[in-house]
Amino acid sequence: MSLLRVERLSKSFGALRAVDGVSFEVHPGELYGLLGPNGAGKTTTLSIIAGLLRPDAGEVVVDGRPFSADPQRAKRIMGVVPQELAIYEELSARENLEFWGRLAGLTARDARTRADELLAALSLADRAREPVKTYSGGMKRRVNLGCALLHRPRLLLLDEPTVGIDPQARLNILEFVRGLQREGTAILYTTHYLEEAETLCQRIGILDHGRLLAEGTLAELQHRLSGDRLFVLEGDLSGAAPETWPGFGEHFQMIQRTDRQLVVAARDRRDPADCLRELLNLPVRVENVTLKRPSLNDVFLQLTGRELRE
Amino acid sequence: MKLLRTLLAKDLRRVRRNPLPWLIHLAMPLAITALLGLAFGRAGRGEGPGLGRIRFAVVDEDESALGGLLRGGLSQGEGGRYLEPVFLDQAAALAQLEADQLSAVLIIPPHFTADYLSGRGPVRLELIKNPARSIHPAVLEELLGVVVTGLNAIARNLPSEFPAWRAVVMPGADYRQVAELIVRTGEKLDTLRRYLDPPLITYTKQAKPGEDARAGASSPGSALNLFGYLLAGLATMFLLFQANQGINDLNDEFARRTFERYHTLHQRLLPFLVAKGVFVVVMLLLCAAIMLGGGGLLFGIHWRHPGLIALLVLGFAAFGAGFAALFAALVPDARRADALSNLTAMALGLAGGCAFPPQSLPAFLRENITPLLPTAWLAQSIRDLEFGDAPVDWPGILLRFGLVAAGLLGLAARGFRRRFARGLRS
Repeated sequence: MSLLRVERLSKSFGALRAVDGVSFEVHPGELYGLLGPNGAGKTTTLSIIAGLLRPDAGEVVVDGRPFSADPQRAKRIMGVVPQELAIYEELSARENLEFWGRLAGLTARDARTRADELLAALSLADRAREPVKTYSGGMKRRVNLGCALLHRPRLLLLDEPTVGIDPQARLNILEFVRGLQREGTAILYTTHYLEEAETLCQRIGILDHGRLLAEGTLAELQHRLSGDRLFVLEGDLSGAAPETWPGFGEHFQMIQRTDRQLVVAARDRRDPADCLRELLNLPVRVENVTLKRPSLNDVFLQLTGRELRE
Repeated sequence: MKLLRTLLAKDLRRVRRNPLPWLIHLAMPLAITALLGLAFGRAGRGEGPGLGRIRFAVVDEDESALGGLLRGGLSQGEGGRYLEPVFLDQAAALAQLEADQLSAVLIIPPHFTADYLSGRGPVRLELIKNPARSIHPAVLEELLGVVVTGLNAIARNLPSEFPAWRAVVMPGADYRQVAELIVRTGEKLDTLRRYLDPPLITYTKQAKPGEDARAGASSPGSALNLFGYLLAGLATMFLLFQANQGINDLNDEFARRTFERYHTLHQRLLPFLVAKGVFVVVMLLLCAAIMLGGGGLLFGIHWRHPGLIALLVLGFAAFGAGFAALFAALVPDARRADALSNLTAMALGLAGGCAFPPQSLPAFLRENITPLLPTAWLAQSIRDLEFGDAPVDWPGILLRFGLVAAGLLGLAARGFRRRFARGLRS
């Protein structure tokens, strides 16, 4: 049974449809990534799941029971890490952790013990007594993350936890999140970083303009692009009209095209060498052809017609 | 309770680490009280309590016995401590007024006494106020209002005695009749006393039993407590403004997303608001202590019921916390919420009779609206407790404050829930 089930969730802000019929599931111990550009509806989806926003339609089911039937029970199961830092900068990391632990229902002693564990795990122990306002951005992010973990939530909602921090701090957080997943915590992780989704998440949902365009494991998503290879043609393509090339449309799917580059996927599972020969025979001067595995960006490109980084 | 303690401990730590906002909040009443003291306070400088002596001219064009009585009455007893009348002709009086040596000029017109006692049409006294001064002329105007009210009451209730009085104040009268007349009129006035409104400002010194021995001429009592009267209202209005300032921390937590994070937990919103309310209440109690205590010292006001006043301020502070929290909940933009709540606080203060005596308010407002306003409950209760004779139902008022505060905080919690649910952020 899934720990979190989201069914046909919709939410509008005036004329803007922020979330449009989104459905997915997160299983116990699974790390599920919601990938999408800024404004795709990731935070809105997560806020609805966390009980902050009321959906216009659809349902959130946590551990088999609708959220709306017993919000307090659902909230006890969850830990929420907001995208913005939601901590008290005048207080120390320890004080922040203990405070949020007490609010989550721990006794003073349990909150202290758990804060010690988390401070060590998040590599914050040596500066635990200093005010958070003196910390670096990465350290603040770790405190922000830790504050949601005091009560050992079975389901963790992470909203872009690595935004705006340096690569080293980012790696530390990603490693920590992996550790949580290994310990059995189900995690819903929103991000607009392709690499994070590719390297961290077991399953990925691609979200754009409030709609879940595709979901699956990385391999499953790559497979959507006619197997697991793409051909990149480089040359002067400014005057080219691929749609008029004989047989091109039948055998290849155009993924991306610029004046210098054309990315295509084979429509069938022919031998790559046959595909290459066919591409080199196209009525256009090609300087270089490379074969590559499709990335999530290619998948996103195919689904939306634009790059995730745009 | 455990949750509330945790929330309060957190806020206390935050205040300890960053006390500046609190110090600013507490400095404001100190500054205002000090400013008032510098402008009007005389007690600390041995110049008499509060206002000092009010110098004004009496131009007695009537030159009757009534003018003589007035001359004697104004210069003696309690009146002499606060009033410094000078008797001049009109030209000299106006010249001194022009030179800013007088607060006002009172003109008793010719035949005033005769016309008054004969009942020949309305008679009038003329008061020319010094426009360069504000407080002293206003006090004189109020006092003259009291005198006119008294004269009107006498004219309406004792017309049968007027022929006899006219006879004794006319030149060549038999003064042996005066004593008998005074006794007779006094007895009649005594029966009328309970039908007459007590004057707004009196010169009656309220001394506690046992105080007589040490109540020398130099001890500033609550005799002329115009400032005490005004201070009760001004402090009430100021506390409501301060409540708006105090609730800024709630706006701050909303903006910093910590309130939102709290809402992702299984806890209800109300305890979070109550914790903020407790801080606002503490702040308002300290502000009230500074304003009323400091004001008392500066203006020589002897607060007779400090415990009851503290209780009433506590109730009002709870109302203030709910009032400010409601605006924070309903108006997403913190600056707009601040402006709106301050405007509303001012309206509540003015309509509640905080800035001037409620008797000066329009009748409809005074009779139908003012009694419903918490600002009036506090200001009027303090005035009644300290300067009036009417009994104060303080348990009832406290209960009302408590109910209104609880209602407002409940509405604020509901407002915030709706704001979260609709995704409205600051």
